[in-house]
Amino acid sequence: MNVVITPAMLGQVVVSGILAGALYAMVALGLALIFGVMRVINIAHGPLLMLGAYTTFFLYQALGLNPYHSVPITMLVLFALGALLQRTLVFRVVDAPELSSLLLTFGISIALVNLAQLAFTSNLRAIEYATGSYTLGPLAFSKSRLIAFAVAAALTGLAFLFLQRTRLGKAIRATSQSREVAMVCGVDVRRIHLITFGVAAALAGAGGALVSVIVAIQPEMGQIWTFKSFLVIVLGGAGNYPGALLGGVLLGLVEQIASLFLTTQLSEAVAYILLVVILLVRPTGLLGGRQT
Amino acid sequence: MRPRTAFRVGLVLLVAALAAYPAVGTGYGVRAMLQIFMWVALAASWNLISGLTGYVSFGHVAFFGAGAYTGAILITSAGWSWPAAALAGGLGACVVALVIGYPCLRLKGPYFAIAMLGLNEVLRALVSYFEGLTGGGNGISLPTLEATVPVYYAMGVAAAAVTLLAYLVITSRFGLRLMTIREDEVAAEAMGIDTARHKLYAFLLSAAGPGIVGALAARDQGYIEPISVFPLATTITMIVMVLFGGKGTVWGPVLGAVVLFVSQELVWARFPYLHQLLFGSIIVAVVLLMPRGVLGLLQQKYHLPRTI
Repeated sequence: MNVVITPAMLGQVVVSGILAGALYAMVALGLALIFGVMRVINIAHGPLLMLGAYTTFFLYQALGLNPYHSVPITMLVLFALGALLQRTLVFRVVDAPELSSLLLTFGISIALVNLAQLAFTSNLRAIEYATGSYTLGPLAFSKSRLIAFAVAAALTGLAFLFLQRTRLGKAIRATSQSREVAMVCGVDVRRIHLITFGVAAALAGAGGALVSVIVAIQPEMGQIWTFKSFLVIVLGGAGNYPGALLGGVLLGLVEQIASLFLTTQLSEAVAYILLVVILLVRPTGLLGGRQT
Repeated sequence: MRPRTAFRVGLVLLVAALAAYPAVGTGYGVRAMLQIFMWVALAASWNLISGLTGYVSFGHVAFFGAGAYTGAILITSAGWSWPAAALAGGLGACVVALVIGYPCLRLKGPYFAIAMLGLNEVLRALVSYFEGLTGGGNGISLPTLEATVPVYYAMGVAAAAVTLLAYLVITSRFGLRLMTIREDEVAAEAMGIDTARHKLYAFLLSAAGPGIVGALAARDQGYIEPISVFPLATTITMIVMVLFGGKGTVWGPVLGAVVLFVSQELVWARFPYLHQLLFGSIIVAVVLLMPRGVLGLLQQKYHLPRTI
């Protein structure tokens, strides 16, 4: 393949990669939180993102709500849904072997996708909003992706402030470090699990809201996000929350650079090969594993 | 007659009846039995890695697809006979399993499960991309050949072989070591078990069956394309069958495959849109309410041996 790469193309790729990366980081942070606090990998994380996209779509279609204004509503809806899932199903497998929690969330995931197909049909839906792009010299910034980047970066920042500064955030981090010690210190661990799952679902929902303006909405749009979010966690180091930021941007960059050379079909394969290579050479992630 | 002898006599009679079936059965009946054999082989194979070691494979259909493509390419391009191509399909699946299993199974935790979650999509993308070899989205048409009855026997042998393999593994020290890994991997390591190597061996064993069966299915259908041999639904069905029947047992996957296939044909075929919802709910219900499956419950209730 003869591809001539100009500096402008490279700059464009870096910009697009970073824009996508913030979104990846935000969604992955949700998955990382659940894994850190409960040792559960939530296979249904991507389908929750899909439900967030549909929530935004219907708010837009039925009430004419600006998709960006409805982000808080979408997040609230998903928080409630996440807490409900935790309260009814997931809490039963928190202490069970990994096999149980993986299979349980896998079952929830396929049930959610099928429910979405039944309720919303498989028709592609789109929100036409913030189309077009800004240009700066030779670089073009798609409006919807730029706004998605800004909102995702802000929400991720807020999530970190919440984790670092508030009592609740500290309790979440304490539970993630050692459940027993947190319990001894008076943390209501079951409540923390409930809130963590809710927050994680809300982050996935925000991701869905932002993505709904960029790509077509359909019931099967979510599954790939479970995989990508996990890849981001592996890149950054499991249990290392700031690592998710680096991992997100890195995944965005790798995908965009790969798209210069390869067809879009293969860019997914590139992310996969990245996962296998990272597990082979540096299984603890680029920033190292769990921080204590 | 002691129960054990009765069981063995029953088994011999069953095999004899199945061997004689194509002579008396209808075309539909033979095809349905062929499908059941396929599902038995697939479910029992998934059980070898996930039921025994506790490492969940969310992409086992990838080996089915890898076997189908290996077999189809060897038949069309290299002119191999289909039984030889089927064995090569098993080998091809093992090669894929080695590439994925070596990096992912050295690690504890969910890495393997998630890597398998993506493998299927990646293989499908690769197969679609390398058009020269695989025909891309157009797929591969195999030379026409009426081979339903020979494929029936081949599929039956594959199902019996995987079940026998499961029996040999579960009753061996190797199988005990795998189950030790499932119960407590750190303890297994402390006892001197090379866990990474054992997991990898189990994974390779579990990939061979789907590879062979995939190549046989390709021969049977006469045409394959990326969408038809890499459906996520196949993995889901395998998982549901094993969980329902009883994971980690010899006969659980067989029981699950037969019961679920028959109910699928009789009842659920009328509700195609509810299929995944139903399977998702079965997974959730089995994990929460009867984690050991039907056979596990029977084992507990009637004090049956662990090795059935």
